[in-house]
Amino acid sequence: MPTVLEQQIHARAPGRKWRFDLIAQRLALVAILVGVWWVASLPLPHFVLPGPPLVLEALTALSASGDLWSNLGITLGRVASGFVMATLIGLPLGIVLGANRRLGEFFEPIIPVMNTVSSAIWAIFAIIWFGISNATTIFVVFMTAMPLIITNVWQGTRTVNADFIELAHTLRMPQHKVMAKIYLPTILPHFFSGARLAFGFGWRVSLVAETLGSSSGVGYRLRQAADLIQTDQVFAWTITLVVMMAALEMGVLRPLENHLFRWKKEAENS
Amino acid sequence: MTESTATAAPRAASAGAHPAITVAGVSKWFPTAEGQPLHVLENVSLEVPEHSILGILGASGCGKSTLLNIISGLVTPDRGRVCINGVPSGEFEDWRSVSYMFQEDRLLPWRTACRNVEFALEAGSMPKAERKRRAQAALELVDLSGFSDAFPYQLSGGMRSRVALARSLVLEPCILLMDEPFSRLDAQTRSLMHTELLRIHRLKKMTIVFVTHDVEEAVVLADSVVVMAPRPGRVREQVPIELGRPRDPTAPQVTQYIQRLRALI
Repeated sequence: MPTVLEQQIHARAPGRKWRFDLIAQRLALVAILVGVWWVASLPLPHFVLPGPPLVLEALTALSASGDLWSNLGITLGRVASGFVMATLIGLPLGIVLGANRRLGEFFEPIIPVMNTVSSAIWAIFAIIWFGISNATTIFVVFMTAMPLIITNVWQGTRTVNADFIELAHTLRMPQHKVMAKIYLPTILPHFFSGARLAFGFGWRVSLVAETLGSSSGVGYRLRQAADLIQTDQVFAWTITLVVMMAALEMGVLRPLENHLFRWKKEAENS
Repeated sequence: MTESTATAAPRAASAGAHPAITVAGVSKWFPTAEGQPLHVLENVSLEVPEHSILGILGASGCGKSTLLNIISGLVTPDRGRVCINGVPSGEFEDWRSVSYMFQEDRLLPWRTACRNVEFALEAGSMPKAERKRRAQAALELVDLSGFSDAFPYQLSGGMRSRVALARSLVLEPCILLMDEPFSRLDAQTRSLMHTELLRIHRLKKMTIVFVTHDVEEAVVLADSVVVMAPRPGRVREQVPIELGRPRDPTAPQVTQYIQRLRALI
C-alpha cells in the first residue's frame, strides 16, 4: 500500500531534467539582457550608459576596496532592524485585532490610511525627528513594513477554522494551547506572505530614506555616484542590489516557504 | 481536571452499577434573533448501558446533534440532567475519557496523520515520545500504520476518516460519541468503516453513542436504536436490535428492522 503514497510524493518532486531546463532558460535570459545592454551601450557616451565591461570594472574596484561590502552591510542592518521591529509589533497587534472583533472594527480604517502614506513622506518626517542617522532609515522601513504585516496577520486570524476550535474544546484543550496549535499555524502562511512583501518594500524604501537622510549605506552611495556622474558605479550598486535580492529570494525565502508549507497541495503551492 | 487520569493507560472499568450514560428529562431551548426561543429538545430520557452501542436516529432538525453535545458536556440542558458513569455531568471531571467524532474528519492540514492523532493527547502533559508511540498504535488499530507521515491532502476520504477515528480512540475513551461520522463517505467505504468500528468495539469495549439519519447504518451498528421525532426533538420509540453480528444489510431479519424503523421516522 505505501507505494501509492510514494508515487504521489514522487510525482510532486520536479524531475531532474525539468530543473536543468529551467536553469538553462534563466541563464539564456540573463545572457540576452546583458547582450542587449552591451549593444545599446556601444554608440552612447559612458556617463549615459556604461557597457558591461566598464560596470564590471567599477564593481570589482568597489568590492576590492571593501566599500561595497561595508555599505551593503549597513543598509542590510538597517532594513533588518526595521523589519524585526515591524514583526515584533505587527504580529501580536494583528492577532489581537483579529481575535477581538470590537477592537478590530474600531481600528480598521487606520490600516489603509497607513498603507497609502508614501514612504517619501515618512522619510521627510524621519529626517525632521531623527536627523541624519541610522534611526531615519530604520523608522521608514518600520512604518512601511508594519501595516503590511498587521494587515496580513489580521486577515489570517479570520481564516481560523471554527471546526478546529470546537475540536479542541471537545478535547478540553486550554486556551493558550489552542492559540499555539491552531491559531498560529493558520496565521503562519499569511504572516509569511506579509513579511515577504514587507521585506521587499523595506529594501526599496530604505534606499529612498538613505538618499535623503543618511551619510552611509547603498542609497547614499547611489546618490553620491549619481551626483558625481559616475554612472558605472550607479550601475554597479544597482546590479549588486538585484543580485542580492534574487539570492535571498531563491536561496532563503523560497526554500523556507516550501519547507514550512509542504502540507499544502501542489496546486496551491506553485 | 486531573492530568494523570487523562493520560492513564486503559481505564479501569468503572463500577458496573451505573449505566455509562443517563439522560433524564432533558429539555433545551435556543435563543433566536426574533426573541421567541427555539424549542430543540423536549423531555428526552434514555440510558446507555456500559459497553453497548446506541444509535440515535431521526430526520434533520430533530435535535440529535444537540443531544450529543449535551451528553458531551459542551452544551448545558435547560431542564433535566445527564450523568456519566453515575456522576452528574456538571461534576464529572474526566472529560478526556469521552471522545467526540465529528461529521467531518477535521484533520489539521498542516499536520501529518500521526501528528493529527497526537493532537488529541496534547491537551494534557504527556511526553512527546509517549504521544508518538500511542499515536502509532492507534493508527495501527485502524489499519493505517504505513501512512503516519502522510499529510491529509495525500489521503483518500476513507483514510482520512480512519485517521479521525484513530484520533478519537487514542485517549482510550470509555465513551465514544459520534455525530454522523461516516455520512460523507461513499456507500462502500462507509460499510467498510462499519466493519472496522465493530472490530475495534469488540477489542476495546467502549460505550458508543452515534447519531445518524441512515436507517441501515443504525440497524447494522447498534444494540439499540432511539428514534426521535422533530420540532421539538423528543424520543418517539426505543427499539432494541436483537440480532447477532455481523449483520448483512440484505439479510431478511435486518431488512425487517430497517422497514420497521423507517415507518417510525
